[in-house]
Amino acid sequence: MNITEIIIVSLIKIVFVLGITLLTVAYLVYFERKIAAWAQNRIGPNRVGWQGILQPFADVFKLLLKEDIVPEKANRIVHAIAPMIALFVAFTTYAVIPIGPNVNIFGYDISLVVADVNMGVLYVLALTSLGVYAITFAGWSSGSKYSLLGGIRSSAQMISYEISMGFSIGGVLLLAESLRPIDIVNSQAGLWNAIIQPIGFITFVVSAFAETNRLPFDLPEAEPELVGGFHTEYSSMKFAGFFLAEYANMIIASAMIVTLYLGGWHLPFEQSLGLSGSWLTVFQITSFFVKMGAMLFFFIWVRWSIPRFRYDQLMNLGWKVMFPLSLINIIWVAVIIMITN
Amino acid sequence: MNFTSDLYLIYPEIVLTATLIVVVLFDLIFKRSQSWLPVLSLTGILAAFIFVVMQYGTNLPAFEYSTKNSLLSIDNLSTYFKGIILVTSFFIVLFSIFSSEIKSCKDRHGEYYSLLVGMMIGMFFLVSSNDLILIYLSMELLSLSSYVLSGFVKKSIRNSEASLKYVIYGSVSSGIMLFGISLLYGLTGTTNLNEINTILRGTNVIDISFILSIFMILAGFGFKISVVPFHFWTPDVYEGSPITITAYLSVASKAAGFAVLIRFIKSVFFSGISQGGYWNLLSYFDWQVVLVLISIVTMTLGNFTALWQDNLKRMLAYSSIAHAGYILLGVAVLSDQGITSVLIYFAIYMFMNLGAFLVVMLIANKIGSENIDDYRGLGYSIPFLGTVLAIFLVSLTGLPPTAGFIAKLYLFVALVDAKMIVVAIIALLNTVVSLYYYIRVLKNMYLVKDVIKTVHIQLKPLSFVTILLLVIPVLLFGIYFTPIVDFAKLSIQILGL
Amino acid sequence: MNIYDLIFYLFAALTLISAFFVVTNKNIVHSAFYLLFTFFGVAGIYVLLGADFVAIVQLIVYVGGILILLLFGVMLTNKITNVEIKTGTINIFSATIGVGLFAGVLLAAVLYAPWKVTLLQEPVSTTGILGNLLMNEYVLVFELLGIILLIALIGAASIARR
Repeated sequence: MNITEIIIVSLIKIVFVLGITLLTVAYLVYFERKIAAWAQNRIGPNRVGWQGILQPFADVFKLLLKEDIVPEKANRIVHAIAPMIALFVAFTTYAVIPIGPNVNIFGYDISLVVADVNMGVLYVLALTSLGVYAITFAGWSSGSKYSLLGGIRSSAQMISYEISMGFSIGGVLLLAESLRPIDIVNSQAGLWNAIIQPIGFITFVVSAFAETNRLPFDLPEAEPELVGGFHTEYSSMKFAGFFLAEYANMIIASAMIVTLYLGGWHLPFEQSLGLSGSWLTVFQITSFFVKMGAMLFFFIWVRWSIPRFRYDQLMNLGWKVMFPLSLINIIWVAVIIMITN
Repeated sequence: MNFTSDLYLIYPEIVLTATLIVVVLFDLIFKRSQSWLPVLSLTGILAAFIFVVMQYGTNLPAFEYSTKNSLLSIDNLSTYFKGIILVTSFFIVLFSIFSSEIKSCKDRHGEYYSLLVGMMIGMFFLVSSNDLILIYLSMELLSLSSYVLSGFVKKSIRNSEASLKYVIYGSVSSGIMLFGISLLYGLTGTTNLNEINTILRGTNVIDISFILSIFMILAGFGFKISVVPFHFWTPDVYEGSPITITAYLSVASKAAGFAVLIRFIKSVFFSGISQGGYWNLLSYFDWQVVLVLISIVTMTLGNFTALWQDNLKRMLAYSSIAHAGYILLGVAVLSDQGITSVLIYFAIYMFMNLGAFLVVMLIANKIGSENIDDYRGLGYSIPFLGTVLAIFLVSLTGLPPTAGFIAKLYLFVALVDAKMIVVAIIALLNTVVSLYYYIRVLKNMYLVKDVIKTVHIQLKPLSFVTILLLVIPVLLFGIYFTPIVDFAKLSIQILGL
Repeated sequence: MNIYDLIFYLFAALTLISAFFVVTNKNIVHSAFYLLFTFFGVAGIYVLLGADFVAIVQLIVYVGGILILLLFGVMLTNKITNVEIKTGTINIFSATIGVGLFAGVLLAAVLYAPWKVTLLQEPVSTTGILGNLLMNEYVLVFELLGIILLIALIGAASIARR
């Protein structure tokens, strides 16, 4: 492939991934409301379109048409930048997540990942740590106490859980001996990481919940205490930015869980199905999305089932339970490697 | 490259690290029995001391990653300084047992002792490291622990001030040093001292950036040994810190700084040895002039500023700056004889300086002050402590028959042998100046009678023994000094040359 | 000037200009914000130098950790945002001479230094190499770093406790 072809292919990939993500985000909101309704034994959105299927578009129009209010005391520039950072971080992270094995289209060998970075995992970590800024900036620049408290809570929470998140990934890296997401997925072709290192899987999932500010860790926006948390003073499309970013982050978290622990596109019995090359690829891509969907469902399910933590409980859980557990996981993996080698 | 075979060379460091971990865990698990912590630390120090003694005479590179490139040099010089550091640490832990300042922070003893052990580990690596990266890191370890320790008693404002000033000066100087190291790495492409030496011998380029980098690195060392112009932190930090830490900084930390300075100069610039044991250094600039100038300014400033100090701790701080000047003169001779005199000086300086600080601490425990005016008549109300303090101060001045005289004698002999007569005379005059302020304390204790105040200090047996342990060497080495001199002569060996 | 140089100067300018604002800005929160760009510039230069791992770690540690904690401290101490950080004495004259001299020496050192030049290499992923170095040749340094971090933790806890 020459340079123009690479650029064209990359552009197609980017458009493809962005399109899928935006659509998924929109419908994730819809499904969240549907599942919430199901959990609470009510009907949920059912007016716009068949079974409310067009509800997301109605929501988007509503947000677009709303008045954009910026508080008088706010720092206007930072106030405007914050949701952009949130969106930027959320969408750029997709670049390194592989959704399937290399495919052969029109004679080109194309990997199903936008950017095959050899440090993809660290890239995701770095971007997640940038995500804290969106919330901190939003909290600080709004010039409101609720926002500031939400922002501070959230950054403390994210920093605390980033540590156990990083250490849980350590176990995965030890097994894969690489930071490339594709290598990590391929290292799980036989056995998923979730089975080899269940402790790491659990700590990662819990940290992912905390990193995405989802219930039971949604203290930054705990309604009864903080009105709306860091985005109290946001309205219209800026609010929509945070809203989108939250769901986009959920998708990334699910995709990362699948990539790191649930074998990516691999299924243990896939070779014995006897599928031919391209059908196997289709099957694998489908299995990736199915796993991701299952994780997303899990996210929503948890949200509507479990009450919120108190702040000190959250910190205790992060530092005194999750962090030591992730260390134990690393030792566990190291012992496994030592025995098998 | 099999490093496990080199592990036996760093047994003392390993023992200290184990002590650190044991202290931390013990503090965590047995919160109620804090009085065992000093015992644990002492055990660790003794165990490390045994290993250090066993190691003496070993001259091997440890963690050698290619020929002539090792991270550590286990040689007699480093082992000697390790011994000095351990003896000092032993006394400091003893001091800490009866310091009322440390006692006042009841629930934080675990942190105190673990940080002390951390300092020891840093100094151990500092004295034997042969690589700029390791030098920098061990210096950071040493500094980090001492920053916290100097502000350990948080109730006192002076403590916090000392800690803050120390952090600011310390981080600036270590930043400068790191900058120098990076420049040097950019010029030579290596961080190993011996390898830099090889490269310097090959090329003969006198270059401003090279000299700049060397001076920047020297700034880092100068900060640790508190020579002018890097001494600004010393009085404030010494005055503000708990006395145990002041004593520790003034002896052990300085010893480590001098050890690394000597190693750096000799390993990087050594090019041969001339008649009479003088080193030929790769002449980028005149080392002797630089070092002599710094040391003269240092000792003069230290002595003259000490003249009008009323706080005894602050006075001892300035006196320790002056002593750093004397010791640096020994380095400036740039010969094996000079280094021998430095080693002798350190062994004796350790006993007398620790002793002076111990007596000051015991008195401060009782009267709650280090002011010279409060010492009036103390010579009569507490005759034993008064006498002992007198001995230590006389020894710090360098008068016979105390050990301080021997230390100065060997220094001056080295200077005269190197035909640095003028320098020797200046140093001698400085000693005369120092006599004034040391004697001023004695005058207050013995000649000014204060009838109102009668202080009575009941010495515990342990503190009595500690004082004896310090005062006996000071008197003994004043008369019978051959063993220490012979030992120092054996200990100047630096590996890799 | 090729594109590589151009990118380098871009990042260098970003680093320097934002660093200048960090120092001169009166509002300490704004200073912290500008520091963000300084760290980004440095990370960019690391990437240009082929130190990919260091660049990412620079982002994770400095941008994602240290700066956030810094902002945190600034935000939690309410009064500090409006405090004049400048102290009373300003000696512009002597400061200019001192800084100018130092800058001159540094500039001369940087410009005329006979830097050790190594051959241009194809950039490779440095993660594995770094890991091997840390675990083999510099294992002692690595372990010492562990001790330093432990001591730093103990020290921080000691400072934070009442």
